[in-house]
Amino acid sequence: MEFAIVSALNGVIYGLLLFMVSAGLTLIFGMMGVLNFAHASFYMLGAYAAYAVSSRVNFWVGLLIAPLVVGVVGMLVERFLLRRVHAFGHAHQLLLTFGLALIFEELIKLFFGDFPVNYRMPENLRFAAFTVFGTDYPFYRMFIGAVAVIMFIALYVLLARTRIGIVVRAAERLPNMAEALGHDVPLVFTSVFGAGAALAGLAGAVAGAFFPTNPNMALDMAIIVFVVVVVGGLGSLKGSLVASVMIGLFSSFAVGIDWSLATLCDLVGLGAWARSVGGLLTMTISSISGTIPFLLMLIVLLVRPAGLMGERN
Amino acid sequence: MRSLALFALLASGTVLAVPVQAEPLKIGIIESLSGSQTSTGRLFAAAVDYGVSLINAEGGFNGAPVQVIKYDNAGGTTEAADKFKQAVADGVNIIVQGASSAIAGQITEDVRKYNLRNPGKEVMYINVGAEAMELTGDKCHFYQFRYTTTAPMRVNALVKAMKAAGDLGTKVYSINQNYSWGTDMQAAIEAAAPIGGYEVVEKVLHDVNKIQDFAPYVAKIKAANPDTAITGNWSNDVLLLMKAAHDAGLKVRFATAFLDQPGNIANAGEIALGDYLANSYVNGAGDPTFAEKYKAAVGHYPVFVEPQTVFAIGALQLALAKLDFHGGPINVTDIAKALENVTYMSPVGPISVRKEDHQTIRPVVVSKVVKNPKYPADGTDLGFQAVSTVAGPDAIYPVQASCQMKRPT
Repeated sequence: MEFAIVSALNGVIYGLLLFMVSAGLTLIFGMMGVLNFAHASFYMLGAYAAYAVSSRVNFWVGLLIAPLVVGVVGMLVERFLLRRVHAFGHAHQLLLTFGLALIFEELIKLFFGDFPVNYRMPENLRFAAFTVFGTDYPFYRMFIGAVAVIMFIALYVLLARTRIGIVVRAAERLPNMAEALGHDVPLVFTSVFGAGAALAGLAGAVAGAFFPTNPNMALDMAIIVFVVVVVGGLGSLKGSLVASVMIGLFSSFAVGIDWSLATLCDLVGLGAWARSVGGLLTMTISSISGTIPFLLMLIVLLVRPAGLMGERN
Repeated sequence: MRSLALFALLASGTVLAVPVQAEPLKIGIIESLSGSQTSTGRLFAAAVDYGVSLINAEGGFNGAPVQVIKYDNAGGTTEAADKFKQAVADGVNIIVQGASSAIAGQITEDVRKYNLRNPGKEVMYINVGAEAMELTGDKCHFYQFRYTTTAPMRVNALVKAMKAAGDLGTKVYSINQNYSWGTDMQAAIEAAAPIGGYEVVEKVLHDVNKIQDFAPYVAKIKAANPDTAITGNWSNDVLLLMKAAHDAGLKVRFATAFLDQPGNIANAGEIALGDYLANSYVNGAGDPTFAEKYKAAVGHYPVFVEPQTVFAIGALQLALAKLDFHGGPINVTDIAKALENVTYMSPVGPISVRKEDHQTIRPVVVSKVVKNPKYPADGTDLGFQAVSTVAGPDAIYPVQASCQMKRPT
């Protein structure tokens, strides 16, 4: 019971963190059709921007300014780089953003050095929110979860319930018609890209204080974020949320499970043989927990190529 | 006739100054100078530069300054194999590399094969940081030297020192990364149980630098209720593990192998207090002259993998001092033979090569994170303070049976 509750709590919060990072990516793909490989770089930029500000002013100001800075960088990228290759399709956009990811990483190393920087949460946030089965549950983890939930609600309401949302969706579905109705479609695209980048920047500013802020953080996140978006269905915000939480829960529970193929062989009385063979047969699930998201992605792609809640097939 | 005499005079004059065709000794560094392990790769390279500058300050070798050529392996074995070929084409005599046992495995095999195919033009490989046991086991050969510790050396030293300080306890948790280094560490932790008088309550192997959230692992550690957790984790894996443990209010002491990686102490902060580290050298252990000289030349005190690399090049310098090729071709086999017989005095004790497998017999320093040490780390008020130094002969383990070294005749 203790294992189940603690694992569920850990899994949900980690899942919400994944959602926070992938929300912007989903938004950009869903509304613009751009596969942005540099998305995790925006996450890293957010963490470093927050670090730079918070070490001079304070943590909360950093949290406020980081998304703005990253949002502006995102808008500049869209306006002066992505727009030029838009006509050539997905491949060009992917290559361009991939190149950008490499450039951002080296730029960060140039300005902030190769090593992790000293970006930590303020001491007054470092306390236990509550205690479960004798284990302190850090408040900051709850804070990360809360930011993610607020982000989801705000985005959902904005896109589904407001006039801005209608214009943005119209610009994606029928750009010519939206333009004919007097909406500045290129401006809409620039803003959406900026907003997506800003969301990643906010995620970086929040998560960077909990995890180490180093030049590899984009690389560490880049792939898992794509897994989330693919599993959830490209462009579906709700799908991303479900996929993130699923991945969080699966990874968290897998750590505590010491089953291996040998355990399975026990059922038919071959356990002792399997253990004597060793190798793959005795590899426990807990030792490959980092691989679970990719397994999940494979299964989803085989069964439902559009993702859990994707529309296109 | 007169011009010929003049030419002879000039030529002889030059000979007196420096040999006409002095062949420089070339050291090739094949390191991760870009990609995710850049920070470690750069430290290795900087320390080699420093070590070589000491050799050149004493007049170089073979009548010319020793040259250092840097190759970027971009953190991958394929690129490393490629750069090895390029280094050989550039006439490199000695390869130096340290970050990643996977890359070391590639390079040492490349060196072995190259030497088989090109007798008389051998190159040698000085491993300054890759710690996988198989490098001096299955893969050992005459032209490879390992100037760093391995898992059993670190674990045995940690266990002895922590037991003596009364900080070890009787229940030990083993948490390591799921690849050659992690499994070596796990085996060493189990093997050291009789020395430390502890029981290994649980062993965990996890993915390497892929896990963002260590909270589930901490829940597992808590359930096992150990006194000490021994881990060979490096980079994010050690930091995230320690932070998650602290956040959950887990009272366990960490015994580590790579906590001194720059940035770790700054990131972990006070939660690292009381944790242990075993490595080749920390500032404040032994004679401080080495640290001060290094700082004067490089600008900062030697940290992480820098000391061991400087010691390796220092040993090479002693080997070179015994040789003289009179400006002629460089014979790497002679250098390797000379290096086998060198004993380098590091600030914490002598370092010598074991001839059977070319593992160095070297002291291991055990230190503890304390507040206001003499040499603070990362610009904080925390740092490592040496607790004890385990002498080389006490730290070393027996030669692995898998090492069948063929010596040149």
